[in-house]
Amino acid sequence: PLGPASSLPQSFLLKCLEQVRKVQADGAALQERLCTTHKLCHPEELMLLGHALGIPQPSLSSCSSQALQLTGCLHQLHSGLFLYQGLLKALAGISPELAPTLDVLQLDVTDFAINIWQQMEDLGMAPAVQPTQATMPTFTSAFQRRAGGTLVASNLRSFLEVAHRALRHFAKP
Amino acid sequence: ECGHISLPASTVRLGDSITASCTISPNCSHLGSEAQILWKLGTELGPGERQRRLADGSQESTITLPPLQHPRALLSCCLRWENTLQILDQAELWAGYPPAAPHNLSCLMNLTTNSLICQWEPGPNNHLPTNFTLKSFKSRGNCQTQEDSVLNCVPQDGESRCSIPRKHLQLYQSMGIWVQAENALGTGKSPQLCLVPMDVVKLEPPTLWAPAPSPEVAPPQPGCLLLHWELWKPSLYIDQKCELRHQPQLGEASWTLVGPLLSQTLQYELCGLLPSTAYTLQMRCIRWPLPGRWSNWSPSLILTTAQQ
Repeated sequence: PLGPASSLPQSFLLKCLEQVRKVQADGAALQERLCTTHKLCHPEELMLLGHALGIPQPSLSSCSSQALQLTGCLHQLHSGLFLYQGLLKALAGISPELAPTLDVLQLDVTDFAINIWQQMEDLGMAPAVQPTQATMPTFTSAFQRRAGGTLVASNLRSFLEVAHRALRHFAKP
Repeated sequence: ECGHISLPASTVRLGDSITASCTISPNCSHLGSEAQILWKLGTELGPGERQRRLADGSQESTITLPPLQHPRALLSCCLRWENTLQILDQAELWAGYPPAAPHNLSCLMNLTTNSLICQWEPGPNNHLPTNFTLKSFKSRGNCQTQEDSVLNCVPQDGESRCSIPRKHLQLYQSMGIWVQAENALGTGKSPQLCLVPMDVVKLEPPTLWAPAPSPEVAPPQPGCLLLHWELWKPSLYIDQKCELRHQPQLGEASWTLVGPLLSQTLQYELCGLLPSTAYTLQMRCIRWPLPGRWSNWSPSLILTTAQQ
């Protein structure tokens, strides 16, 4: 059930929507480069490897339209972005051509996570302790980092689509 | 070391005077014990006020210089020797003022270079080598509390602008920024700005053009023009509004402003114009409804309205 729109400041929500679009654009740029440079264009071809590498996917259950819940959604948004921050960091050394694109994506994901955390703090919703990063997959070869990059970028895209829908709902006047 | 000049400081305020001493060591051989120490400031040559012999046999002369009127002067400690003037030591004197507080600090977020570019007015010339540093810290709200400090930004020599690279920025968080000027006589600080980098983003202008005539698209009415624009690609993720200005190419005609125009309109018919007249058209955009800075006006597009 979609409850009434949220009590979050409109400017915060507009910023978040802009950040979602910015990270989506960065993620699309990474996917495009992985495809053109390393011919890794289809994440579905890497499912087996993805399971072996143990690439985690954060839950956004409180942001889904079926069970949209403001506090829970913000928490999951932040935890998810924090996880992606770690995953993108673990991809360091992906390849010289992709490094700049990966750096920008990581910076923008970090900015987005901080923006949400600070808003939660301002609203008194933030947990007492900053989250600690989960154990990250270990990529043992350049290929694994590129394959991991393809999977992480694809998962991040899906994550952001759910986030975008929820934020748009919260932003409804 | 034959001779050595001692100074309390090598930099003083313009108009101040300074007392110097020069010590000539006894092993500066073949000199008469009572050789007179002479001082040379610029072109002026003369003895010090007082010359005395120290316990170790060296000679020391002291001089109080006249108020310094030039930003830079050379002070030499000399002796006469076999009809020549021997320079035994030299000191560079600087005179100027403490730096004024830099002012008119302003910053823009540049999405092309992905950096926050700040510029300022350095203030009047203080005649001294002066270092400018752009200092900033991450903060919240109105920058009352300082969280992480950001790496100092040191401008290129002589420049009054500096760019803080993306990796040192949090684009959506407040940061306090100021400029510090420093020379040998003191420090000057500009007023502090409190800004959110994305809130001072200045976009590149959109691209404006006329759609190619085609059977599906009816030609514009007399006194109307058909326009097309496309936002600057790196800014597509930013909600924006735009405005158009047009000016008939007739003598000293002024610009007419049309706006706000939504950034997502694919095609726009501009009417109310003079028939069969050439018009200059330009467009600019700004982040909206979130804060931002207007882009520059786009390059001109010149179109002519249809005949009556």
